[in-house]
Amino acid sequence: MSQKVTVGPAGYMPKSAPSMGVELAPEGQALLYGNCVSEEEAMRDAARAMLTRDNPTIFPGPQVLWDWKEDVAQKAEAILELASEIPNCKIIPMPDYRPKYPKIDVKAEINPNHPNLTILDNKIKACIFVGVHCHYANLSLRMIRGGTDCYTIALCAYMGHEEAMASIRDLHAEDIRKLRDIVIEEREKLGIKWTAKMPPQNPSLPKEEFETLNAADYGEFRSLLMPRRGEQVAEVE
Amino acid sequence: MSPNTRPKLEKRLVDAKYLLQEAPREKHFITGAQAMAEAVKRASVDMAIAYPITPQSEVMHLVGDIYAQGHIKEYYRAEEELGTMSAIAGASRAGVRLFTATSGPGLLRGLEAIAAWPGHRVPAVLGVLTRVVNAPLSIQPDNVEMAYLMHCGAVMLHAENQQDTFDMTLAAFAIAEKVDVYIPVAVATEGFFVTHAKGYVDMTAEDLALEEFDPVAAPVPAMDNETPPARIQRDAPVQKSNFMSYLIHAVWQQEIWDSNSRAMKYIYEYLGGPIEVVNPDADVFVIASGCAAAQGREAQRYAEEEGLSVGLIKVRAIRPFPTKEICDATKNAKAIIVPEHNAIGWLCKEVKAAIPNGGIVTEGPRVFGGMTLPVELIMVEIYDALGIEHNIKL
Amino acid sequence: MSMKYITPAETFKKYLPKDYVELVDYGPFGKSQEEAGPGNMGQFKELLEEHPMCSGCWMAYFIRVIFAALPNPEETVTLGTAGCGRLAISQAAVPFIYGNYGDQNAMASGLTRAFRLRFPEKHKDVITIAGDGGTMDIGFSMTMHSWIRGEKFTTIMLDNEVYGNTGGQESGMSPQGAVLKMAPEGKKFGKMPATDLAKAAGCVYIVRLSPTNIKKAAQIIRRAIFVAREVGPTFIHAYTSCNIEYSIPTEEVFKDAKEKEKGRFSFDEYMTDAAREVIERVEAEEKAARKARKEAMKAGAM
Repeated sequence: MSQKVTVGPAGYMPKSAPSMGVELAPEGQALLYGNCVSEEEAMRDAARAMLTRDNPTIFPGPQVLWDWKEDVAQKAEAILELASEIPNCKIIPMPDYRPKYPKIDVKAEINPNHPNLTILDNKIKACIFVGVHCHYANLSLRMIRGGTDCYTIALCAYMGHEEAMASIRDLHAEDIRKLRDIVIEEREKLGIKWTAKMPPQNPSLPKEEFETLNAADYGEFRSLLMPRRGEQVAEVE
Repeated sequence: MSPNTRPKLEKRLVDAKYLLQEAPREKHFITGAQAMAEAVKRASVDMAIAYPITPQSEVMHLVGDIYAQGHIKEYYRAEEELGTMSAIAGASRAGVRLFTATSGPGLLRGLEAIAAWPGHRVPAVLGVLTRVVNAPLSIQPDNVEMAYLMHCGAVMLHAENQQDTFDMTLAAFAIAEKVDVYIPVAVATEGFFVTHAKGYVDMTAEDLALEEFDPVAAPVPAMDNETPPARIQRDAPVQKSNFMSYLIHAVWQQEIWDSNSRAMKYIYEYLGGPIEVVNPDADVFVIASGCAAAQGREAQRYAEEEGLSVGLIKVRAIRPFPTKEICDATKNAKAIIVPEHNAIGWLCKEVKAAIPNGGIVTEGPRVFGGMTLPVELIMVEIYDALGIEHNIKL
Repeated sequence: MSMKYITPAETFKKYLPKDYVELVDYGPFGKSQEEAGPGNMGQFKELLEEHPMCSGCWMAYFIRVIFAALPNPEETVTLGTAGCGRLAISQAAVPFIYGNYGDQNAMASGLTRAFRLRFPEKHKDVITIAGDGGTMDIGFSMTMHSWIRGEKFTTIMLDNEVYGNTGGQESGMSPQGAVLKMAPEGKKFGKMPATDLAKAAGCVYIVRLSPTNIKKAAQIIRRAIFVAREVGPTFIHAYTSCNIEYSIPTEEVFKDAKEKEKGRFSFDEYMTDAAREVIERVEAEEKAARKARKEAMKAGAM
């Protein structure tokens, strides 16, 4: 079967997967490179990608980050179990969908309006989206396929995502655990030694200390600084 | 009366598949406006917003009556169409099922808001009861306004008659709310010719209704302070002049049209597909939608009685446009005739763009400004296409 | 109160960016005005911290006051339209809806009604915050009709007397004689009588102010929200100068606001009897709650 959706970068303005003829998998099936396959086959390929590609990362979205529904705790737990079994896996959340102003902290979060920034900066070559609302997941997956060489995996509570290399639909906590088990199996097959370990905490940038800031900290924007009253600015660009 | 003290009617809630395809039906003789309102009655609509314009008004009068009877939870008359369509967009953020309807100039007045619905992921149902767009002033049937709606991103269905109006309106709610679609669905039919004329409609029982709207099963969070994330802004303000802003807008637009194309499988599921083909082996095809399809159907029948090789392709879905289906159905066609109720021939243009051999398409016949479409007008084109001499005088 | 949607899933809290954890732990959600209101602006975690407004923007300041004054930020949705205000409002940690041009009051009508039918037992506060152009020019019909229909939400007009975001054009709220873009010879007619129009259209609580006093401004915003919950449409017409288009030196922005307070933005508060009843009741309740808290603190300290 030819691969319809492959790891990017697909280019400047790639056609969307649906317009290339990729259709969502029916219930009980999954998508792998744009083709319908069994859930297990998709999970195995996804697991190998997370195990063999650089800087594997899980991007949990609002639907699993916030404690709003009964099944969230279970899913969140399962996601962490999965992360702990993937060597050196990171968790970078997508807490909401607004573009980040003034600048995203790419080590601490990912945003659907410019997901490529987080992927590129962290050199992420395999990632899992889980708990992101479908609209924003589609936007993110398309931009990532367009501009990066990251292998994308979508774990979706609804119908899945055409843009992902591997897409699992109708996701419950037990499906995440199934993926975890497959990750362990594949890891052993590949002979990778690893004892389960939780990913590192969020490395948010420390708050800026405005008292100790100097003009150089503003980099290219320093010419925009307003002088304090009475202050003389000798050098400007 | 506050919404919570309104009469609550006992209904059995069922899924769209059962309601549209399995539930027992009874024959009624009603107008197209009634058919649309009867569908709304069975759709567990939360809120409907009305604004008058001929010939649509009849539909929203009836929807108002349905509200008064307790079938709908909230209903009001808005200030004008931009206010109506904007209020629909606002209400949709709260996670409710919505319906409104308009005609010709009203559609154009509301179009700024309507064009933003798909991008805002508003799964509302919009009735379009077609009418002339001025000038000169006229209130008569003519579906030129559909041409403007075709490029907004909404799913568009075109009803041939009262029965279609009922089925398509009901299906529209189910299609619009699919997680992989979640954009508005417009159900269009000809003003007066369908809205004010009676036809037979097989309808499900009144106490059988579509399952309630599910605000959680959505590709975007409801902005109801119940659904995370905490600081929601569904529509990114991306007016900055940088590549990231261009890119997010570009993929957003792709997503709208992808959502539009994902609706196709549900058009098969609920309505039997985007086209209906009569006499698939014919040499000459009449391709038509809405009322023109009814006249095309008559022309095909006349032609068949005369032993001519003529078929009909009725186009139910204008968006997503059934390009592949029409290509397949016409691959052996020698001539195609596209009768329409508008001056510009939007369906003709779509058909020509869809098939590899656009030269076989006859432009028309077209009537507009309220004129009827006599079957003979189509027959003339059929005879011409087949090289048959005739002396039809119109 | 539905705080669940802003409570992190326990296991994920340590993976969230600090920003969000701080918002949850120290933000104003579920807190009283004394704890996280405008009195503590600058010290407490605010709903609006970073924004792209011009230096010295009086509008940015007033928008911060609006968010700090919200009685229930966790049950609030704001709506806006094109204009400078939207640039800041969209950065606040409260859901914000941006639709089309000037349609904020029509959208709010739909939204408020939909909230009331979905959550008959709850108050979900809906507030439109738009500029003078959005409220009184392009959105005029939708603004007026939402008031005439008696829609129960709050309208706040940020009046900087100019189209600031599009580059300084004359608006219906610009003063007569102002030389602006599209008014090269000065504006030929005066300001639209916004508060009179609001009164005629049936707003039940109307205030015109130049927000020079934070506490007073916050009280007015809260009054407008409380009254809208129960009685009908409320309207705040606030002076939020554009120091760029009107060339007000940054250090004189406050002075200008003070001057306007003596002139065309003199303080004016109107309320119907029904609105007064709500205000008196709510403020008495708040006072009692404050007193009870103080006593509880005293008892705790002992």
